[in-house]
Amino acid sequence: MSRRPVLHSASSDLPVLMAPRGLPHRAPVHERFTGLPMVRLEARHGLGLLLLFLVASGVAQAQVPPENPSIIASVIRWAPLLLSGFVFNLAISFIAMAGGTIVGAFLGIAQISLLPPVRKGSWFATQFFRNAPWLVLLFFVMFLLPFQFRIGGFTIPFPDWVKATLGLALPVMANVSEIVRGAIQSIPSGQWEASESLAFTRRQTLWMIILPQCIKRMMPPWMNLYSILTMGTVLASVVGVNEMLTLTQQALAAENRAALLVPFYAFDLVVFFIYCYPIARSTVYLERRYAVKI
Amino acid sequence: MCKRLWKTSLLAFLTAATGLVAIASHADAVDDIKKRGKLIVGSKADYKPYGFRDSSGKIVGIEPDLAAHLAKKLGVKLELVPVVSSNRMQFLQQGKIDVLLATMSITSDRRKVVWILDPAYYSSGTNILAPKKANFTKWEDLRGKPVCGIQGAFYNKKTAEVYGAEIVAFKSTPEVYTALKQGRCVGFVYDDSSIMGTLADKADWADYEMPLPTIDETPWGMAVRFNEYRLYGMVSEEIQKWHGNGTILEEEKKWGVKNTPFAEEMHNKYPEWH
Repeated sequence: MSRRPVLHSASSDLPVLMAPRGLPHRAPVHERFTGLPMVRLEARHGLGLLLLFLVASGVAQAQVPPENPSIIASVIRWAPLLLSGFVFNLAISFIAMAGGTIVGAFLGIAQISLLPPVRKGSWFATQFFRNAPWLVLLFFVMFLLPFQFRIGGFTIPFPDWVKATLGLALPVMANVSEIVRGAIQSIPSGQWEASESLAFTRRQTLWMIILPQCIKRMMPPWMNLYSILTMGTVLASVVGVNEMLTLTQQALAAENRAALLVPFYAFDLVVFFIYCYPIARSTVYLERRYAVKI
Repeated sequence: MCKRLWKTSLLAFLTAATGLVAIASHADAVDDIKKRGKLIVGSKADYKPYGFRDSSGKIVGIEPDLAAHLAKKLGVKLELVPVVSSNRMQFLQQGKIDVLLATMSITSDRRKVVWILDPAYYSSGTNILAPKKANFTKWEDLRGKPVCGIQGAFYNKKTAEVYGAEIVAFKSTPEVYTALKQGRCVGFVYDDSSIMGTLADKADWADYEMPLPTIDETPWGMAVRFNEYRLYGMVSEEIQKWHGNGTILEEEKKWGVKNTPFAEEMHNKYPEWH
């Protein structure tokens, strides 16, 4: 009895080719690992948030006595101030990310150093700052550093937001360090061996062969980290920096109306979502584009 | 090997940490203020009507007005730094602000940390904001019940320890008002003058009252760092002037607070400024 190949698909000429199911390049790969269908952030989730804001406003509005200004009007009246606070959040996130990335990249490379003290020292620094709660680091930086430095005759002010930025840059640094180390170690060792056989020095190999290949692997986690950092900048409100959340609380105190609490925080949520959502989308895009084929 | 590494790392970290605590050199505060052309005052930004933000982001209220008087007296510009109860004295000690003018009640503990100015510029007592239907008549009625408060307020402790209430502390008043309206606490222990301000908003607070006898009438003090003799003298004289010439009474009227007995009494105490 002869075995005949089974035809899985009428449309295929090749008898052993399985028919493609839906989107073959993404969902099945994910499902193969987790056994669950993939859930992704989509624009409709943002609509959900917006809906939450409107419902919160609507519910609150129903409790408002007619002589007070409406909830939406109050939110609009305070929006410029709150958004100026948000710009401040963004500034903190940019600077912390830039500083943390630069230092973290070097720390990450130092983690694969051949010199044991450098390797172990940078490993320790990375683990220390990566496993410390962000808020605790913030408090440390806030209360340990002076509010101004005197160098020679000059007084250099050192305002709160700079300290907060520094405090947030520390965990970013440690996380970037791990991203860099992970990316370098994920490059197949054949690359190292091949370049060694071509008489590249270790430094040349690293800079000209390994790191260029790492960049695209590092982009998605790096952007993820940025997104998390942006959302983490509101922690600075706890230490008294005048960013969006602090201003929201002060606006609420000035308005002195309990009905405004939920709509105001919902407004903050929507603003952060509108900013972070495109980042999440482009991370997904990059992940897909640079995905290592298995 | 590993142990040594640990020790070295720890030592290095501690050395770095100590090195970072630079000491600001110390001239007289008045000289500093004049040189910089700016008086920096720590004030509340979430305590209506004493210090709060308007929708343009400016800090306004009774205390910012008083601070402006002070800056005018010194002939310099004014910068207001928003503070909260939990960081205000640290800011003053660090030298981040020159004068603290932030609804601070005078307690003996606080006198050990900063120089609190005499005379007091204001005063308030402690009372609670509670729904009318709760029918509280005395402080002992609060025993075992959840009562909202603001973090860092000194009367939380007393309300808890003496009257046996369970304090639920929040960061600022909006959270408290929401909690109160949701029934998560039976009342809100706070300054009586501020509660009266809230109750004045009839629309939102018609079913609420300030039912208990006011306790712990405590004066509010401005503060400067230790040993700032000149600044102390100047500010102290200003405060007497504000009482005497009716500035405080006018400010209360301007921001919709009923003239307090304390302000009226102080007004009569300094007739030389009338």
